[in-house]
Amino acid sequence: MFSTLIDQFWSLTLSGIALGFIYVLISLGYTMVYGVLRMINFANSEIFMFGTFATIVISRDFLGNVDGTKSLPLPKLILTITLCLLGSMLVSGLVAVFVELVAYRRLRARGTNKLATLISAIGISIVLSEFMRIITNSRPTLNPRVLEKKSLFEIAGASFRMDTVLTIIFAAVLFVVLDRFVKFSRLGRAIRAVSMNEDASKLMGVDLNKVISATFLIGGLMSGAAAFFYTLTYENTKFNVGFTLGLAAFTAAVIGGIGNIRGAFFGGLSLGLVEVYASSILGTEWKSVTVFIILVLVLVLKPNGIFGEAVQQTRA
Amino acid sequence: MKLLNRLREGNLRDWGASFWEQSSPTKRKVIATSLIGFAALAPFMGFGLLDTPVSDYGAVLVYPVGMFILMALGLNIVVGKSGLLDLGYVAFFAIGAYTMAILGTRTSLNTWEIMPIGIALAMLAGLILGLPALRLRGDYLAIVTLGFGEIVRISALNTREIGGPNGIANVPVPPSIGPIKFSLNDQKAFFWVVLIMILLTIWMIRRLSVRRAGRAWEAIRQDEDVAELMGVHTLKYKLWSFSLGAAVGGAAGVLYASKTLFIAPEMFTLNVSILILACVVFGGMGNIWGVVLGAAILAYLPERIRFISDARLLVFGLALVITMNFRPDGLLPRKKREKAIVKSTQDGI
Amino acid sequence: MYNVLFVYLAMAVLISIDTIRRDRIQKGKDQERYVQERTLLGQKTKRVLLELKNLTITFGGVTALNAVNLKIYQGEILALIGPNGAGKTTVFNVVTGVYRATSGEVLLNEQSLDGMKRHHITKIGIARTFQNIRLFGDMTALENVITGTDVHKRSGLLGGLFGMPRARREEKAGRVKAHEILQFIGIDEYSDRLARNLPYGVQRRLEIARALGTNPQLLLLDEPAAGFNPAEKVELANTIKKIRDAGYTVLLIEHDMSLIMGISDRVAVLDFGQKIADDLPSVVQNDKRVIEAYLGVPADAS
Ligand SMILES: Nc1ncnc2c1ncn2[C@@H]1O[C@H](COP(=O)(O)OP(=O)(O)O)[C@@H](O)[C@H]1O
Ligand SMILES: [Mg+2]
Repeated sequence: MFSTLIDQFWSLTLSGIALGFIYVLISLGYTMVYGVLRMINFANSEIFMFGTFATIVISRDFLGNVDGTKSLPLPKLILTITLCLLGSMLVSGLVAVFVELVAYRRLRARGTNKLATLISAIGISIVLSEFMRIITNSRPTLNPRVLEKKSLFEIAGASFRMDTVLTIIFAAVLFVVLDRFVKFSRLGRAIRAVSMNEDASKLMGVDLNKVISATFLIGGLMSGAAAFFYTLTYENTKFNVGFTLGLAAFTAAVIGGIGNIRGAFFGGLSLGLVEVYASSILGTEWKSVTVFIILVLVLVLKPNGIFGEAVQQTRA
Repeated sequence: MKLLNRLREGNLRDWGASFWEQSSPTKRKVIATSLIGFAALAPFMGFGLLDTPVSDYGAVLVYPVGMFILMALGLNIVVGKSGLLDLGYVAFFAIGAYTMAILGTRTSLNTWEIMPIGIALAMLAGLILGLPALRLRGDYLAIVTLGFGEIVRISALNTREIGGPNGIANVPVPPSIGPIKFSLNDQKAFFWVVLIMILLTIWMIRRLSVRRAGRAWEAIRQDEDVAELMGVHTLKYKLWSFSLGAAVGGAAGVLYASKTLFIAPEMFTLNVSILILACVVFGGMGNIWGVVLGAAILAYLPERIRFISDARLLVFGLALVITMNFRPDGLLPRKKREKAIVKSTQDGI
Repeated sequence: MYNVLFVYLAMAVLISIDTIRRDRIQKGKDQERYVQERTLLGQKTKRVLLELKNLTITFGGVTALNAVNLKIYQGEILALIGPNGAGKTTVFNVVTGVYRATSGEVLLNEQSLDGMKRHHITKIGIARTFQNIRLFGDMTALENVITGTDVHKRSGLLGGLFGMPRARREEKAGRVKAHEILQFIGIDEYSDRLARNLPYGVQRRLEIARALGTNPQLLLLDEPAAGFNPAEKVELANTIKKIRDAGYTVLLIEHDMSLIMGISDRVAVLDFGQKIADDLPSVVQNDKRVIEAYLGVPADAS
């Protein structure tokens, strides 16, 4: 039962880390929005899903990468990666801003109860995924290969593939940039002010609508980046791809203490590892069940998250 | 015209309620009996405007219309009465259906004997989910229930003993009751059973609404902290709400399996939960008649209009967003009115 | 592959057992307490009903209450005063179980309330109102009060559903009692109005009525006269006296000095989370530290 885990420990660890970084980026979408609104962004999984399609459309249709048997030549590869990453981030970011405008803003202005806002957010998330289901005929969409899954080098039986390495490096850089941004930029400070005390920050002249839009945008950008790395690695997507990943990323955010940016980092990585290890023992078909059990356990036993210190102080 | 105005003012429900209150007991009995009789005759009205081009009218009345109304009423106890957002309602429906399918194919029990077992198992599942989940609030509860719904489906999918992805076939139909026979070609009998279950559910909700449990739910929905401080055992009543909702969902599941003959995990996706939620929200959370109306409309329209049936879920999602943004109380909002007598004295001042 | 399901089931069962066990323990404790109260009631008149022992609570860096000791005697009106932010509402929140004390404890009839669930605290006899009104707005005034009376009902959901005799009896009794309370407070004419449509003053009184519905030994009133004009304040003062005379013990947070001096039996003063005085109204009024606390507030602290 444990033999796979023991035999392939390091290679599992590596793919767990890569998966973990994808979770980190998506869970930032949940965590940032939660920080300012105290509400789960139910549509975050669809925001992610749009990013995966954006990546494929740009690579396959705009850049004409349809061959899909081997890696692209280096200049084209760099162009593809750059454009797809930026395009995916942009599309997801814009979808996120749209979601906030349509599903949240009016209700917030009217000050309705939380239940109404939640239902509205679920509604928009259904609309987005159904929209995609209908135009793709419920079929999965393939992303023709742009990067060969060749091992670059091996350490302790773990083969470092190009896509794995790219995901880990880029995601780590993005995370650091975001963390710095929220800490030191003007907008970042406004976001933190709103997270800590909405009323006080309003008094201090923060434009709440703008800050909330910006938060959705940033969360969307991160989910979009995650979508790119996901598509690069798994090379296909579907209208409901966001569901499982979204639930996992949300779990990661909860493990790290939702609202806590650095928590999302630890949460994402540990969930990625746990998921990969658990799948090697129980079989991949029980993956989402495992994630769900972890979610319930954390919520019930440690509602502030395992890494969550006093939530108020470390919030985004 | 007057009706339209009333609808716009959002007090059609109040108007109905005050009409009801001012009627004498005999008048009430007459109205109730004729309404029920009218509903019971619905299977004979499948011609002209009402007929459904896409599918068999008689079958549509049972599923989705009747079943949706039933499940929406059950979910309304949870979402509308107690304000708990349950996105995993399909799980209880699935548990009822699987209970029927497993016991119906492997034992000699019939539908009516399996019904209480299915209900009990669904309630048990409600308790198992509720005990950890109902300690959580608002959006956390929503996401945990959502996960739970998927888990039940995935577990069914991965368990070979209950058919895995292939599901279970040859589920028996209910045995006939006297001259009334249950058959797939003529589903009137199924419709009448659904109708009876709907009436029982309505009776239960109406009864509880004016009792201690109803007040506890209402208090929890409006301000859970204050409810607790006023002595309401919130966890206990939330669990009740959850398991009563589950019971209704389980009952619907048993009947559904016994009607379709064949069930498979793919019938119990998150979409079902969302459809039922949309029925509740669109009709008017917390108001029985609103929920019945909302479910009837949302279940019937896609069958009537082919264009909608392809994009059913999209329409339901839109219904959620639009209702919440522009008419958060739904078609028929919950009680806004105060008793007529007091109004008049107040007007006099 | 039943492993996962098994794990989940085991987890659920464990949590269930834990919940049920905790409830059991709580119920046992309640019973004991109830018996003890009954015997105590017969004894001396001036006995301590509620006691705060060395109560301290901190939020992050802020110490909202600092080693507060306070006794409330059976049948008195004790006024709790102090500048804004002194920690008065926090006292209510600790006593009713909203916050858990960092250290120290709260005793009702010499029994610690530590770790008790909020609805149990209400059930054994502490009820409160809120500084910013928190009624059940979509219920009628009467229903608000009946919700209070529900605490002591013994029939549950099934009894109500199937119309058991006890359930009917209790339902009727609750309705009658709620009307009595509304009359007692003087707002019975509003009983069928939705709480959220009531005039402000009636809403404040309805909060008191709802709290009385739970039949408390100790009634906590958080600034019940806030926003009242002088005439309304006099009326409210009379109501509070009436409540005390009916046998309830009242802990009252209030800012209006003349109201306090008029009705309270004793006055306790909080300042920056510390109790600085606790005596007869006339004594407190002339206490140097109290006057300082009220007048000598440094400019930047307000
Ligand atoms: N939940 C809380 N979190 C942080 N600080 C709190 C909280 N509740 C109360 N405080 C602080 O405790 C102090 C006392 O507040 P309070 O009891 O409301 O004062 P008051 O005497 O005006 O009723 C204030 O400084 C307030 O900011
Ligand atoms: Mg206060």
